[in-house]
Amino acid sequence: MDRALGGVRFRPRASLGPEVLGRLRRGERSEDAVPPRGLRPAFAAVAAALVLAAGTALALRAPGPVVVDRCCYDLDGGGDADDGVVVIGERDARVHQLRIYEDLDGSGTFTPGDLVRLDRGGSPAMHGAPADGLVTVEHCCLDFDGGGPADDGLLVIGVPPDRVVMAAIYERPAGAEARPADSDGFLLR
Amino acid sequence: MKDVTSPAVSSASDRRPTAQSAPSESEALCREWYESYGGAVYNYFRFHVPLIDVAEDLTAETFLKVVRARDRFDPLEGTPKTWILTVARNVLVDWRRRSRLRQYVTLGTMHDLVCDAPSPEERLVREEEVGRMLDVVATLADADRELIGLRYGSGLDTAEVAEILGISEGSVRTRLWRVLGRLREMMARD
Repeated sequence: MDRALGGVRFRPRASLGPEVLGRLRRGERSEDAVPPRGLRPAFAAVAAALVLAAGTALALRAPGPVVVDRCCYDLDGGGDADDGVVVIGERDARVHQLRIYEDLDGSGTFTPGDLVRLDRGGSPAMHGAPADGLVTVEHCCLDFDGGGPADDGLLVIGVPPDRVVMAAIYERPAGAEARPADSDGFLLR
Repeated sequence: MKDVTSPAVSSASDRRPTAQSAPSESEALCREWYESYGGAVYNYFRFHVPLIDVAEDLTAETFLKVVRARDRFDPLEGTPKTWILTVARNVLVDWRRRSRLRQYVTLGTMHDLVCDAPSPEERLVREEEVGRMLDVVATLADADRELIGLRYGSGLDTAEVAEILGISEGSVRTRLWRVLGRLREMMARD
């Protein structure tokens, strides 16, 4: 075990160091940096007011990464509702990773050994060459981003029965009946 | 946990850079510390955090913090490495308070894993193996996870771990031995 753990090494991306230096150069403060002394009483008063005003809301919807795993739907066009989606991201905001998987073991959740149909990073993009017979599958509305309300849509483009080339989620504004036809549309995440 | 934000009493303060020094000095210090300890800090976070970009953010956060608080570093109380990792521990505690993320999601989240597997398939197997191991580590009690993160993530020796945790080196060894035994059992059951 000692050897196994000792053999695990991760390498930070080469640009992380310059990025930290750039942030330092721009004068970015760390998240809980101590404010200058003169500002402390005012800062404390403002902070207290903010905490009082938004305490409950913040407690209920603390920011930070969330993992949402939804199963089971027919997302790859195979005919069986045995596909799931894992969204890793910032609650109600950014997507870090989105994965479409086939729930091979029928656990209703992603487990090692499930077949991954698509695994993408932070931005929706087409994976693989464009192909004939592309089919779009849409599921709306569920909570795919951990925001709370079931107001998110999932869009999956693929070639049935087992190829997925693009997947994204979008948030449907309250009251919107359908995806808008204008060019601004819904922002895909 | 040691409060690293409280000013340290040190006779070596004249040798330390001050908070008012020129930006180029802080940049040079940041570069020097990052080059020396960036990997240890990043690996410490990767043992605790399943997402690469979160580990990167926390690493950046740690270095911004230590450079800004550099006048509080007391060389008489420890090395820059143990001080920086103490700050990293606090950064991790803050992040945990804000985050609900616990599970180690392996597939596709380990392209930063150092691995000399000759084929993509073997690399996937290795990623899954490491993910399984870190998943099991994630189920340990916080104190035990901390021990594993510092010893194996950061690559600290037991004396350095003892210094950060404020316990004796003997205690570190004993606790480590027990935790590794538990991990071995859990991995065998899994």
